[in-house]
Amino acid sequence: MNDASPIVLVVDDEVQIRRFLRTGFELNGFVVHEAATGAEAIRGATLRPIDIVIVDLGLPDMDGSEVVERIRSWSNVPIIVLSVRSSEAQKVQVLEAGADDYVVKPFGMAELLARVRVALRRQSRASTGEPTVVVGPLTIDLAARAVTLNGQRLTLTPKEYRLLQVLAQHAGNVVTHQHLLKEVWGSIHVHDTHYLRIFVRKLRQKIEPNPDMPRILMTELGVGYRLAQMPTEGEAAWAEAGGERAKP
Amino acid sequence: MTQTSVLMTSLRAQALNFLLTLALVGAVTAGLYGIIRLTGLTHGSAVYLIPVLIAGTRWGIPTAVFAAVCGVLASAFFFFEPLYSFQIKDPHEVVNLVIFTFTAVVVGQLANRLKRQLELARQREIDLSDLYAFSRRLAVAFDVSDIQAAIEDHLASVMQRKVVLFGPQRDATSAAGHVGSGIPTPVLDMVDSMASGFDSVPGQAAATGTIVAGDSGDVWLVRAVSASRREFGVIAINLGRASPANQDALRARVDAVLADATATLDRLGISHAISEARMRAQTDQLREALIGSVSHELRTPLASILGAATVLGAAPALKDEKNLKALVQGVHDEAERLNGDIQNLLDASRISSDGVKPHLEWADPADILHSALRRCQRRLSERTLAIDLPQDLPLIHVDAVLVQQALVQIIDNAVKYSQEGTRITISAQALGDRLLISVNDEGAGLSEAEKATIFGRFVRGERLSATTSGSGLGLWIASAFVTANGGKLNAVSDGPGLGATLTVELPVTQTAVPQLESDADE
Repeated sequence: MNDASPIVLVVDDEVQIRRFLRTGFELNGFVVHEAATGAEAIRGATLRPIDIVIVDLGLPDMDGSEVVERIRSWSNVPIIVLSVRSSEAQKVQVLEAGADDYVVKPFGMAELLARVRVALRRQSRASTGEPTVVVGPLTIDLAARAVTLNGQRLTLTPKEYRLLQVLAQHAGNVVTHQHLLKEVWGSIHVHDTHYLRIFVRKLRQKIEPNPDMPRILMTELGVGYRLAQMPTEGEAAWAEAGGERAKP
Repeated sequence: MTQTSVLMTSLRAQALNFLLTLALVGAVTAGLYGIIRLTGLTHGSAVYLIPVLIAGTRWGIPTAVFAAVCGVLASAFFFFEPLYSFQIKDPHEVVNLVIFTFTAVVVGQLANRLKRQLELARQREIDLSDLYAFSRRLAVAFDVSDIQAAIEDHLASVMQRKVVLFGPQRDATSAAGHVGSGIPTPVLDMVDSMASGFDSVPGQAAATGTIVAGDSGDVWLVRAVSASRREFGVIAINLGRASPANQDALRARVDAVLADATATLDRLGISHAISEARMRAQTDQLREALIGSVSHELRTPLASILGAATVLGAAPALKDEKNLKALVQGVHDEAERLNGDIQNLLDASRISSDGVKPHLEWADPADILHSALRRCQRRLSERTLAIDLPQDLPLIHVDAVLVQQALVQIIDNAVKYSQEGTRITISAQALGDRLLISVNDEGAGLSEAEKATIFGRFVRGERLSATTSGSGLGLWIASAFVTANGGKLNAVSDGPGLGATLTVELPVTQTAVPQLESDADE
């Protein structure tokens, strides 16, 4: 990854969407490549070094999840998909196909940038082997298997820790129910969503400063859970300016 | 092979009837024998009319005659001198017996005829009550499929056979929709060709029906419900393994039943109603499709507008341009509002066009509520929010996304009809087998009349329609989504100006919550 100016590949058939994404990304120091079709995207991703891919799921020539699968087959470049509302099953499908996260259309630039930064950060953490994930007051040391809240060491059961660990490995990105169930309880429990509900509740009691208003372990209804990304100061300003997450 | 076996069965039944008759005669003889021994009476042969009557009413004339003959022989043998011989000494007794035989045969015949008339009357009564039930059902039928189901059920109950009704071609109920439903393919093919060839061959084949052999030896009768009215469709009746003679009888019966049914249909003007209902359904479909596609087409440019507005709003060039930034913010907010309205239209067309099919899974009510609150965060920022959420709420088996969308609509509504700075209280509680999520506001409240209509489509509070915007779809959508999850939505208010509480009531199936395995947290 190029720290100075990350390269983003924007794949969308709507020229106006590509136009505002180009402007938005360029204003934030990205280099932008564009593709209007799935085939073009796959060609573009193979020809040039790319740091992150933004793919619209409604492409004219192929299914969005196919684009993700094809890119994933040879590259672990972060992929964020743009999806419409009321298609949770499709979101899950494309996440299982290897996408890192999704943003619901219509979206604000701030929201997309936040997701992009999280994915890039995760990528660089993976390459440097940085073992610590910090989410606000919560620190998860994946090497020492230690979790602290405001400096206080927390006692988690093995399953609770495993759950938090899987979420921390994808910190900031959504992790699907299926993935969590498979990683924590094994493949045969992949449909036992109630396990997850009960353990998330227990975990929140321990890691959330105010469990009634979760700020750390966030729910993505119908899709999965995510450890919130706490914006850096610059990003916080961005969010202020661009407003809150647009109503999907 | 089939016919022989049918014949065998009927022969066996006949033989049984004769045996029973014989047993009856035996019983009467035994009784008479005892009485005569005790009382010394001599003329008891009239009692043999009892078995004759029974046999005549139950099993028909041959058994009645058989009973008479047996009775005569038994009296000759047991009661007339010389005893225990079929010879009879007294010629008077012979005359007596001849008269008895004659009477017995006539009585048997009369009894049998009476029985047949009774049966006919009973069958007629059943037919009439079926027909009556049928016409009552037709009278309340709402659309074409209701009418067709009524015809189908009526025929099935009258014929006591499997009956399937197919609508005319290019209809959801045409033959193509029944593939794989247990109806043999040749029958479906015949239905298809009959439905499509209706115009060209209105004649006999369609009107009287065609026999089609299905699989496993069954035969099906396929015919038009009415020879002159195409819209009544085509029916297929499973005749079972009927013999050709039997088939003709059944066909005559089908003819009679269908004649009754179509007469009823005509009398009620169903033909007209069917075409009208179909037209209405098509108009509805067209309207929903139009709303659906227009909304979709509107959303794509809106996504560009919204996205571009956020880029502009944060652009360094506008950093010190307060007024310009406010303009951009205005573009953004209005586009967002438009997007919300379009989303509502899409939801509404989804509800009315194909119904809501919830994707049920175990969900934590707190998760649902938090997601809804997150979506309403900005709208709620100018209200005081109070949340009362117990720690131990039961998991519920619902479509979490739908319930969340319903809650967003309800919260949105609470914000819309209340003043800045007022309090909105959101609470949840488990009450027996129900989970209640309530949203209470200190806003405009509801009058009695408003309470009754609040969940209607395109219904907006008239008192406030001048000062608030909206399509009147929000609570209708919320109510539809909650209902789709097996719950219901209630509104309570002390009156206009006194705030309102909307409560989502969802079922909790406590016992059905799968238990964690004991080692789940090992």
